[in-house]
Amino acid sequence: MKRRHRVLVAVAVVVGSIAAVLLLTSLGTSTRGPLSGLIERIGAGVGAIEYAARRTLSRTGGRAAQLAAFAPYRTDADRLRRPDRVLLGAYESGLPATLEGVGELEGALGVPLPLIHFYAAWGDKPEQQFPLRIVRAIWDYGSVPMVTWEPWLSDFENTLHPDLPLRAVRERQGMRAVADGTYDFYINRWAAAAAAFGKPLLVRFGHEMNDGYRYPWGPQNNAREDYVAAWQHVVDRFRAVGATNVLWVWSPHVAYEGWQSYYPGDAYVDWTATGALNYGPIAQWSEWWTFAEIFGSRYAALEAFGKPVMVAEFGSLAVGGDRAQWYRDALATLPVDYPAVRALLFFEVGRDRTVTYQELDWTVRTDSAIAQVIGAAVGPWAPGVRRP
Amino acid sequence: MSTAARDPWHHRIARPLRLRHRLLLGALTGFGLIAVARLVDFWFRAEHVASPVLFAVLSIAFWYGVSRIVLSWVAYTRVRRPEHVAAPDGLRVAIFTTSSPGEPLAMFEKTLAACARIDYPHTTYLLDDTRDPRFRECAERHGAVWLELVGLPGAKAGKINGALARVTEDFVLVLDPDHIPFPEFLGRVLGQFDDPRVGFVQVAQAYYNQPRSFVARGAAEQTYAFYGPVQMGLHGIGSAVAIGANCTFRRTALESIGGHGVGLAEDLVTSIRLHAAGWRSVYVPEVVSRGLVPEDLGSFYKQQLKWARGVYEVAFSELPRLFRRLTGWQRLTYLTIGTYYLFGVTAALFLVFPYLYLWTGILPAAMLFQRFLVDAVPVAASGVVMYMVAQQWLAHPAIERGTHWRGLVLKFASWPVFLAGTLLAVGRAEIPYIPTAKEAQRGRFLRLAWPQLLLFAVYAGTVARVIVVRLYETGEGALQLSSQAVWGMVGFATLPVILAAGAVYAAWQSRHPAPGNPWDAIDVTGIGGEA
Repeated sequence: MKRRHRVLVAVAVVVGSIAAVLLLTSLGTSTRGPLSGLIERIGAGVGAIEYAARRTLSRTGGRAAQLAAFAPYRTDADRLRRPDRVLLGAYESGLPATLEGVGELEGALGVPLPLIHFYAAWGDKPEQQFPLRIVRAIWDYGSVPMVTWEPWLSDFENTLHPDLPLRAVRERQGMRAVADGTYDFYINRWAAAAAAFGKPLLVRFGHEMNDGYRYPWGPQNNAREDYVAAWQHVVDRFRAVGATNVLWVWSPHVAYEGWQSYYPGDAYVDWTATGALNYGPIAQWSEWWTFAEIFGSRYAALEAFGKPVMVAEFGSLAVGGDRAQWYRDALATLPVDYPAVRALLFFEVGRDRTVTYQELDWTVRTDSAIAQVIGAAVGPWAPGVRRP
Repeated sequence: MSTAARDPWHHRIARPLRLRHRLLLGALTGFGLIAVARLVDFWFRAEHVASPVLFAVLSIAFWYGVSRIVLSWVAYTRVRRPEHVAAPDGLRVAIFTTSSPGEPLAMFEKTLAACARIDYPHTTYLLDDTRDPRFRECAERHGAVWLELVGLPGAKAGKINGALARVTEDFVLVLDPDHIPFPEFLGRVLGQFDDPRVGFVQVAQAYYNQPRSFVARGAAEQTYAFYGPVQMGLHGIGSAVAIGANCTFRRTALESIGGHGVGLAEDLVTSIRLHAAGWRSVYVPEVVSRGLVPEDLGSFYKQQLKWARGVYEVAFSELPRLFRRLTGWQRLTYLTIGTYYLFGVTAALFLVFPYLYLWTGILPAAMLFQRFLVDAVPVAASGVVMYMVAQQWLAHPAIERGTHWRGLVLKFASWPVFLAGTLLAVGRAEIPYIPTAKEAQRGRFLRLAWPQLLLFAVYAGTVARVIVVRLYETGEGALQLSSQAVWGMVGFATLPVILAAGAVYAAWQSRHPAPGNPWDAIDVTGIGGEA
């Protein structure tokens, strides 16, 4: 090859490579939609066929048939906005891989769990897109899904979204950016997918927003009014695409003062909620507190918003007190003491490492004595429901 | 396509390369390399390691395959067609062709008649150990010199070395006896020896019997790219290899390495030794002869086993010994060719992984399949596009172009043979030298198809088990969320079954060889010349 030709070849390789980089990066965003979407649809189709075949063969008609008394809530979002009874539920840490653990918990307690809760983060990864497979599996299983939707803004790649601020500084005033529409590319897609799902779906967006130590959407990065504006913007985006099947669960951390000022307004909230987890003396900042101490003292303020109240994460560890007594005390007169509470979700996590450096075991299905105490207390709350 | 363009019996030359072709190949390679870099970046993430040992095994198998695709791109970017040099008058040239007991005499009638018609002055020698007087008669009838070379060790190569000691020509064309040369053969290659550093000149290997069976088509398809853009690329990096048949050697070159190499892959052994001795090679991408490719599955398997065992000998014995005397590109070339039959190992692993998951739930890698596809599809697409683009430089595109799916089916069907060849090579087990069959052998179906039939049985049993377990045993809560993983794996297990179906068809067809002999209808007076 002549020198002139070699230079041309070299230039062609460089130019071709640059063109390829641009093409590949653009391909990255566009193929993720159609390609993954197609596989997702095929996968969901196969799953649905298989599930239908299984239900046809099953003599009992599956779990959904056993939860027939709960069917009105499962099909009617408005009814779920004004429930006339306490709906039980759980997050079980086998999710989102399997619902087996939820089934085991139901078996141990002897009561059905109409609400099934799981966590989903914002971001670019496939598992951070609308979790259609999971919510559909939960719905087919006979329950209503609740997603705790966590706005981890730093999970978006700058290569895919060159307009976003750099990841290191993105969380700062992140809720302001959400309210300004910076993340609408993601919110709109998620909202459209939720609307297409069509069945009732509880969304607990940006929970514990008033805790300055835990999540990036907290007050260390954001002004209260920005959080409220972000919430309203998110709900507006959902309404704009017709996602009326989504119910909004506002869930502050009530141990910190001033949480009421994060309330986005009656028109934007369907449920109020908070966690009620007794860590006992395991953490420095904690001691053995009863349910009345954790939740009861703030109940009146929650109830004052006039929405049904949810205990979104409910449980006690075993160290530092009488665990059975804790559940007995919490549940014995709960419907009477806290009449606005219309949902109680067990936090069935075996190896919780989110708060302390040691693994914490919140499970109750592994301790038959505790499971019996709980089952005996909550069993009468679900009249007309055949036990699974 | 007109019949004239597809006529196999004319002289064909691969098309030349223009600058725009180089730009296209360079750009496509650039695209492909970036796609590969993205795939590397995705694949090797700690979060993907489900089981460290199995992940390593899967990675080695997977990246072995990808690396071979990348190496083919590298060859394509260096594709070069040598300038034709007119053969000077007065060179002293010998043609060696060998006959062994059991080979069909009728075939030699055609080959020797065609040799007599080669227009550059030469002497044809028949290197014979049949002890059958008819072979001598045949040779002498066609003006060839009959040399009886009986009882020499080293099979074909032994006879070549024995004959070299008895003749004095300066250049030797080693012609496989099934190859019917065109009159222009020597005229197209001898001019390349004007460069005194050139030790051997290889031409394309083409066939005339591929329409006669599925196996013949597939076996031929496997070689088209190699005798087109791949060898042209190897020529471009100074690594064109003597392989297959129809290589013309300079006598002094062969003498400098102590004669033609011996072994199951004797051509390749000779090739690497000549390169190590500093001789240059030239690849002439022209069809100047046509020969036979195995028509039945049994013969094909035997040929592949022989080659696998022989080619590993190059990797294990010759390459380490000669490594320091080869150029970097030559090292890479012989390493790549020497590890071709590792496909037998990787194919076996890819077969096993889905069943491992479906029976035990063990996964080597924790990857989201969609996510994998996003990065793997550009690599696969680059591979396909590059393969198709490079087909412009096939020696005879009119009949060689295509998807070569039969070649793929046949390659996949051969994995047990490749694997056996690998194990025999590692264990240094000897296998006898058998010339590749010239006549189709009637094959017993079960003897040839049992690995595929076994795969069908395992597949059917596994799918049945999966259905029963999922309809009656899997918990309701686990069913839907695991369906993608399970049925995706069943999909993975299905791909080899589809390929195996092609191999079973090939085995079935091999029960009844095509009637007649492929050379019967050839009129040697009408071959050669431009189309």
